[in-house]
Order: sequence, then structure tokens, then C-alpha cells
Amino acid sequence: MKKSAALDALVRHRTDEVVVTSMSVVRPWGRLSRHPLDFASADSAMGHTADFALGIALARPDRRVICLNGDGSMLMTLGTLVTAAGVGAHNLVLVVVNNGTYEITGNQPLPGGPGLDFAGMARASGFPVAVGFDDADRFEAALPELLRAPGPVLVDLRIEPEDEGPIQRRPDEAADYLQVSLETSARRLREALDALSP
Amino acid sequence: MSTVGDAVFERLLQAGVTHAVGLPDSVTAPLMARFDAHSDTRWIPVTREGEAFAVAAGLWVGGRTPVVVIQNTGLLESGDSFRGVAVRMGVPLVTVVTYRGLAGMRGAGWTGSEPPDRSWLVRTDVDSTALLTEPTLRAWGVPYRLYESPDDVDRIRHTAEVERRPAVLLISRSGGTP
Repeated sequence: MKKSAALDALVRHRTDEVVVTSMSVVRPWGRLSRHPLDFASADSAMGHTADFALGIALARPDRRVICLNGDGSMLMTLGTLVTAAGVGAHNLVLVVVNNGTYEITGNQPLPGGPGLDFAGMARASGFPVAVGFDDADRFEAALPELLRAPGPVLVDLRIEPEDEGPIQRRPDEAADYLQVSLETSARRLREALDALSP
Repeated sequence: MSTVGDAVFERLLQAGVTHAVGLPDSVTAPLMARFDAHSDTRWIPVTREGEAFAVAAGLWVGGRTPVVVIQNTGLLESGDSFRGVAVRMGVPLVTVVTYRGLAGMRGAGWTGSEPPDRSWLVRTDVDSTALLTEPTLRAWGVPYRLYESPDDVDRIRHTAEVERRPAVLLISRSGGTP
């Protein structure tokens, strides 16, 4: 499956969820979406996107949080699968964009090789819903239910490696959410969520 | 008898803290228990200390007031998360860190404030984590304070809020200078 096909499907079904992106998804998502609840976990720490998204989900149980995480990033904090299930993060949808490589540093292969079963890891960690897709149409058909299901939910998207390069935050970046600092982005999301408080 | 954890909890509760994220040890277990038991607060156990800083940053972005509770050995583990998430997002995050090995280190004649040389780092009677705690915080530019009284909780919280960054409160079993 092409990354763009999966993200196009998600854009069509996303409504008022927080979307946190990382690594090779940051720019592609930023090209498709300009939403006050979009957040790029870029120019940040290695592998700490899923746990950051989990924190938002715990803070705002009234709102779904979708985390578009890299497979390499997920491997760095696999313990977060256990943490998210343990605290019952019912509103977290953790999507692993699984291309088997560290794409933004040049597609070096991940430890363990291709085909890591992130859905299996999530189920073993206690996720009530954990599914994998290698076809964008099937992913899109399942999305309405995945975005409603009591979670945490893990979606393992098996996509083809592409050539997304390193990410920087700078004023001339095409994606709006990369044009300001991480600190400014964090404060903007905090303010946007505060304005939407129940 | 009131423990350091009880005193720290009461001050954090008064300050409106909603969540404590981290991994407990024997010193902070009472603090964890208080956060877990109180109806206005929640204890969030994590699998590794670096995870604690990212979860706490997310809680703060979501409008909550978290603290991180870890041991100094876990602080050393969590450098990239501390730097890349909590510091770079400007999270005013009180971080309670058990100063494991403080008494033994001081008893051996080392203050802990200066970087140790090799001979100290390989001694069996001194915890190398203690030797590296304050030098690491200084190298990272982190404001910190050794707990001596409950007012230190308010002071470190004030520092974190004014400077818009994490600040560390070091606590030991004795609650102050051993």
C-alpha cells in the first residue's frame, strides 16, 4: 500500500480528533491536512511520539487522539503499548506506519527485518483492538469502526518504503505545522484543546 | 509518621497537580500511593523513565498539571526525552527524583556537586548514580533543589513555572541532607 493512499483515506474520515504525526508521516500529513488539532512530533525526542499522544489522550478522555507513528519509533518505546493498555486509554488510536525501514535517514532496515507484527505485539500487551492492513481500500472500509471502537486501538499499516527525507522546523516549510518551533506548536495545541473543552 | 512522600504530595495537591507519571522506588512509593488513592489525582505507571516525560508533556498539552516521579538512575536513562520533549516544548514540569546513594556518597566524603573521576566511579562502596546525578543536571542546565522542607516543593514549582521548563526536586529517604 502507498503511504499517500492510507493517509488520503484517513483524511476523509478524520473529523475532530487530535492527530499527532512523526517521522516519515509528518510532511505527507501536513500536505493533506491543515487543522488546529494537528501536531508534528518533529524536532523532538527519538521514539517518543506514541507516549506523548498517550498523555494527550489521558488528559482529554472526551476526544479521540490518533497517533501516526513510525515503525522504528514504535520499536524505541514498545513499552508504551503496555502502558497504554494498562491505563485503559480508550480514546487512543495508535497507527504504526510500517515500512520496515528508517525512512527519513535513508531507509536502513529495522532490527528484526520486514514484517514485524505490531498488531500481535499490541494484542499481547492488552489492546482490545489491534489489526493490520496492506490494502488502502480495506483500511478505509474499517476506519469508521476503528475510530469509534473502545481502545486503545492499534492499526498496523504495511506500506511501501518511499524516500521522505529529514524533517526540519522552519518558516519556509510547506506544512503549516512545521513553520513554528516545537514549543509554539505545543502551546497552540494546548490552547486549541482548551478552547474545545467540554 | 509523615514521610517525605506525604509532605510532597500535600504541597503538590495544593498546587493543583492532577497526575503523577513515573516509576516508584521505596522512597517514592508513599507518594505514588497517595496519588493513586486521592480522588482528584491519578498515578500513571510507565515502563521506562523516558516514557514518563513524554506522557507528562502530553498531559500538559491536554490541559492537565502533571509531575514526574522517578529515581536518579531513571533520570540518566531519560535524557533524550527530557531534552527533546519536556524542555523543547517548554513544559513547566516538576520532576521529583529520588537521590539514590546520597547518604553513602556523602559518607564516603564526596559532596556530589562536581564530576567524579574514574577512581570514584568504580568504587564498590559508592553508588555511581549518586556521583553523576548533580553533575548531569548541571550539564543539562536543569534547575534543581535538594528537598529539605515542604517549602522546597513550592520553590521548585515556582522555578518551573517562571522559567517554563522542567525543574528537579531531589529527595532522599531522610528528607534532607543526610
